[in-house]
Amino acid sequence: MNKAAFILEQGKVAERLMEKYSKDRRLEADRNNEPVLWAKDAKDAKVLVKSFMLDDNFKIDFLSDLTAYDNQDGEDGEKRFVVVYQLYSLEKHIRIRVKAAVDLNESAETITDIIPAANWLEREVYDLFGINFTGHPNMRRIMMDERFVGHPLRKEYPIKQRMGFDDNVQFHLGGHELHVDNTLLEDGSPADTQNRATALPEGGK
Amino acid sequence: MSKDGSSFFYPTLLSEAAKWAQKNSLWPMPFGTSCCGIEMMSTLSSTYDLSRFGAEVVRFSPRQADMLIVAGTITTKMAPVLRTIYDQMLEPKWVIAMGACSSSGGIFDTYSVLQGIDEIMPVDVYVPGCPPIPEGLIHAIIHLQNKIDSGMDRKPAERPSHEDAMNAMTYRKSIADIKADFTITQDYVKQQQSLLDSLKSKEEIKK
Amino acid sequence: MSPKTNVHTLQDFYNPNVLINLGPSHPAMHGTLRVMCRVNGETIEDAACEIGYLHRGIEKLGETKNYHQWMVYTDRLNYCSALNNNIAYAMAVENLMNITPTERCQYIRVICMELSRIIDHIICVAINALDLGAMTVFWLLYHWREEAYTMIESMCGMRLTTTYARIGGMSYDLPDNFLERLWKFCEEMPKALDEVEGLLSSNRIWIDRTKGVGVITKEDALKYACTGPTLRSAGIDHDLRRDRPYYMYPELEFDVVVGSNGDVYDRYLIRLEEMRQSIRILKQCHDRIPMGPLWVNDKRVQIPEKMDVYTKMEVLIHHFKIFMEGIDVPPGEAYTCVEGPNGELGFYIVSRGGPKAWRMRVKSPSFMLFQAFEKTVKGGKIPDAVAHLGSVNIIAGELDR
Repeated sequence: MNKAAFILEQGKVAERLMEKYSKDRRLEADRNNEPVLWAKDAKDAKVLVKSFMLDDNFKIDFLSDLTAYDNQDGEDGEKRFVVVYQLYSLEKHIRIRVKAAVDLNESAETITDIIPAANWLEREVYDLFGINFTGHPNMRRIMMDERFVGHPLRKEYPIKQRMGFDDNVQFHLGGHELHVDNTLLEDGSPADTQNRATALPEGGK
Repeated sequence: MSKDGSSFFYPTLLSEAAKWAQKNSLWPMPFGTSCCGIEMMSTLSSTYDLSRFGAEVVRFSPRQADMLIVAGTITTKMAPVLRTIYDQMLEPKWVIAMGACSSSGGIFDTYSVLQGIDEIMPVDVYVPGCPPIPEGLIHAIIHLQNKIDSGMDRKPAERPSHEDAMNAMTYRKSIADIKADFTITQDYVKQQQSLLDSLKSKEEIKK
Repeated sequence: MSPKTNVHTLQDFYNPNVLINLGPSHPAMHGTLRVMCRVNGETIEDAACEIGYLHRGIEKLGETKNYHQWMVYTDRLNYCSALNNNIAYAMAVENLMNITPTERCQYIRVICMELSRIIDHIICVAINALDLGAMTVFWLLYHWREEAYTMIESMCGMRLTTTYARIGGMSYDLPDNFLERLWKFCEEMPKALDEVEGLLSSNRIWIDRTKGVGVITKEDALKYACTGPTLRSAGIDHDLRRDRPYYMYPELEFDVVVGSNGDVYDRYLIRLEEMRQSIRILKQCHDRIPMGPLWVNDKRVQIPEKMDVYTKMEVLIHHFKIFMEGIDVPPGEAYTCVEGPNGELGFYIVSRGGPKAWRMRVKSPSFMLFQAFEKTVKGGKIPDAVAHLGSVNIIAGELDR
């Protein structure tokens, strides 16, 4: 595919987005001419992702990235954070970006049930920005220590604010909730033996 | 004495013999976390060949190693792990801080990076560079060998105790203090915001 | 056995609830990765991965340093292929500013990217083989990696952390005898690949250790958004160099290598073949690279010639402004990605104007791959997990950022 055909394809995507999805929503183009669709709220973002996956014009099947940024200066509306979904289609090679504004006390909607790849990405956003994703199977810190206070990628977090931990000289489990059943049966054999093939639900819940 | 007069025996002090053995068989425990780890691998590989200096027997078990090469950034999350490994090593033991990050934190002066491993353990040789070229690491090992040979090695008693290291790893600030800081910053942000708002409203009135 | 008498029976060894901790300091864990496994005998029944042992706050630094300063940090993302990161980042900022580099610059960038792809694949294949006990491959391939490193050193003065690219151009032009050296490298390096293939590809032990091991199926690869060789090994024909072309790639001939089984063996074969394809691209670049200007003619980003800085007043001021204030990037945002050695490497930059980014996001392939690893390692044996981890090539610097 050469570059011209490629721009044409992206143009078609924008047209289609315009006619079907842009009602009550803001449609923009970024500096690469890729469409950016602002969802009405965090719940709407999930609806959009779902409908893009079902739409034959887009055939979105791939989550390139999920991240957020701090909107402290208020350039992108009233709300404090913006959650960004980078969607991609492996078949049509098109990109759509969905954005949803989330306020300080609001929580976003998880898309782990549609695209499992979002699992760690949402945890990362939670860790670094403090945005909660409702319905996420395992919402806890991923990068920083469990006992870390604050969310470093927020603009007000001082970059040199360090924190050390004195009492975890031993390897601590880091909050891993691996399902371990240590109860023994009457004959002394482990209780879980009959059930050993049962895998844990997603994310080690 | 053998028939041709050459000696089998060299009279020497036991300590000298021990030094000679120690300096020529430095078994490294490689603790490579990032870029420096890749250069450390280069040092061990065919072109640079660290075995020429008796230090090629890489031991991933700290119990069998006498030289800890810390190659790469150490984060606050990793620091207790590193200290555990250091504590597990047997005396005599030496530490090389390879690269800017493990020496001083390097370019990463951020919320999660330990500013030099000497906060949690004594260091014998620092290697500058980001990352140091393999010759740099080889030079550090030769330097360490000379140090052992000349008896500049620290006595065990002079090493910081476990408690000292633990104290270095404790909170720079207690969590309560940091939480207080947060409320302060948030209040501050609100204050600034209200100031801005009042300024804006004043301007609007002027118009 | 009753719990009172402390006699161990054979049944104890079939306890399905044994926890094994691999890492973060473990020879097979490549740096700072950590996997907690619940094993039954030798079979992994469940795994949980812990990351963040190398989280250095690079994204936060991107908001406090100006665009040129942050170039240095891109080296430390995927330190096995630093050139690739440099160029991807430069490309991201250039897209924000609507700058297209000159043709010579684009060719140099393609050469750099392919060279770093070869280095990265060498590390992956050699270390994977080393983990599985085949040491000869390590010695063989590292010789050529050193040769590539000395070539890179002659380009920019540093072996590993290059910082070669600049926004709008490259820091230096290619050195005098570089192209001859490159040609020699392209001629002789495939011989080492042939040798490795002779040692491994039909080796009974290697096949037993890798075939059918660490399988990431097509569905899993899509579900967990794997990219790069891992995606292609699962049978999905996708390569950003061809599908969303950038720079000179549409004009260069190369094949996209696709596997079918998604196992360790396929990934190994794909990496070997990709190295050959990279060499093919390098040879074409060697033939076609034009003379001409290296820098774009755009005063916003162009770093002036050093001779002019010393002799002309205006140029001195310009130089001072670029380095003290930084370049002024217009407000807006862009997501730019390239096909890195391990997969899609993307930079999502939100600019509010001025010399610093408002948000600097690095989309790293390793992050997704490690997530997929956590899910697909279940059901295998522990030694297989080591093979699996080595073959997807997870780089901790890029994973944790």
